Amino acid sequence: MSKYLDLDIRKIHELLVEKKITPLDLVDEALSRIEENKDLNAFITINDKVREEAKGLGEVDKDNLFFGIPIAVKDNIVTKDLKTTCASHILDNFIPIYDATVVEKIRENKMLIIGKTNMDEFAMGSTSETSYFGAPLNPHDKKRVSGGSSGGSASAVSGGLIPLALGSDTGGSIRQPASYTGIVGMKPTYGRVSRYGLVAFASSLDQIGPMTRTVYENASLLNVLVGEDDRDLTSVKKEKEDFTRLIGEDIKGMKIALPKYFVSDIVDEEISKRIKEVISYLEKNSAVVDIVDMKYLDTAVNLYQIIAMAEASSNLARFDGVRYGFRASDVNSVDEMYGKTRGEGFGDEVKRRIMVGSYILSGENAKTYYDKALMVRDDITKEFNRIFKEYDLIIGPTTTRVAPLLGNSKDDPHKAFMDDVLVIPVNMAGLPGLNIPVGKNSEGMPIGLHIIGKAFDEATIYKLASFLEEVF
Amino acid sequence: MDRLSREEVLHVAYLARISLTEEEIEKFRVQLKVLMDDIDKIKEVKDFDDEMMYTPIEDNTRLREDVVGEMLSASDATINAPKKNGSFIEVPVMINE
Repeated sequence: MSKYLDLDIRKIHELLVEKKITPLDLVDEALSRIEENKDLNAFITINDKVREEAKGLGEVDKDNLFFGIPIAVKDNIVTKDLKTTCASHILDNFIPIYDATVVEKIRENKMLIIGKTNMDEFAMGSTSETSYFGAPLNPHDKKRVSGGSSGGSASAVSGGLIPLALGSDTGGSIRQPASYTGIVGMKPTYGRVSRYGLVAFASSLDQIGPMTRTVYENASLLNVLVGEDDRDLTSVKKEKEDFTRLIGEDIKGMKIALPKYFVSDIVDEEISKRIKEVISYLEKNSAVVDIVDMKYLDTAVNLYQIIAMAEASSNLARFDGVRYGFRASDVNSVDEMYGKTRGEGFGDEVKRRIMVGSYILSGENAKTYYDKALMVRDDITKEFNRIFKEYDLIIGPTTTRVAPLLGNSKDDPHKAFMDDVLVIPVNMAGLPGLNIPVGKNSEGMPIGLHIIGKAFDEATIYKLASFLEEVF
Repeated sequence: MDRLSREEVLHVAYLARISLTEEEIEKFRVQLKVLMDDIDKIKEVKDFDDEMMYTPIEDNTRLREDVVGEMLSASDATINAPKKNGSFIEVPVMINE
């Protein structure tokens, strides 16, 4: 079997331009890899029109690196005429009538959507085990999870089924699975990428981002995804920039902060040791790494629970069995239809979060919990800004442990949040954050470094990431 | 084990419009208590100022031009409806005589 998909996309592009291969070759290779690795359960739906789409692409566009490259899309991003389930029974027959803005951009750039990836139901979870379709597996050890909620995208890229995928990140859902599976995952600054067509979970936190094998591919894909969009008024207008522009530059003199909390005893010893090795390497190369105190980091999970569950309870009110999706049978009143549809249609994790979210927003509780969480959220953001007055970047481990075994978090409503303890603060402040693999532990499981940047300074994150990518 | 009362679970389930089976009610009595205890920890944060952050976006007052844009056709808008009658979506009777 051909191995074109293992090549860097710049090389694949070259082969396409030279007419040595066609987009159909790439699609066929991806489809056969997906078939051979069915046990990974990385995909919920395969696009059965993708071969036709590949044939219809026409002449290769020499100036478009992504022309004819297959890509996978997380199943909470809507794709016209291609089933979008959010890994939930309540949407398991839902065919969107429009494309998300990011999907439009992918199509404009002539990428080929190979299929929709598995995930935690409505992106709620940290292992993708809440999927109605069963958990995707970790290609490094199939007894382990691939993380969540973008676990299918992580599994597909890490397993070599596809070079590129889209994920979404509300409380670490791109970076944490990227860390567990040893790939590059970026959550861009809130507002960088339009959320139009991303099925909303927690609107003030959600952001779509690229999941790839290399830093260069990640930055290049982000170039495609960004931009202001009138259909998402939280998207922000910015000058067009090339996120690859600092890749390969020297890091001499770069000032990097390492918050004490990120190397405290909540982190597994082998991971801490590896992070220290990374720091030594950075210092050897004339970067400055200082350990700093940052307040409120330990409150972030608590804030996330309150804000995410409250916003989810409101956003998921739309799934009522009226306009789309599953509707329970044998109902005699509208109230009964709502209750039974949601009772039968949602899984346990989603039900728990909607119920607690409804409680948080009811009556005086909104002040006690939600308003207070927003106040502390403002403080945590100010803490980040204080550090960024002196430092270019903040680093730490992405996760406290390597990918856990399947079933480890089952029925423990608390654990699902604790897996994301190190990545959640970034969503609170709306900052960009990236996972880059920095080696493996003694069991052969990937360890990830988390790089956090100033708002809208993804380019500097890519600069450091590319520097480390060469070595670790 | 620490748990919510049956009534407390039914109350939040009603707020969320989610019907629960007997088995689920028992399970959620324990599981929701864990989450309720988690969110209560916010009360322990003492050192904070009272400015609230609703969104990370600094300029959150941007609005679209008030013009008529593209609209969905009735057939597109109802294409995913679980039950329909022509271009209408059917739901159970809402008004009791």
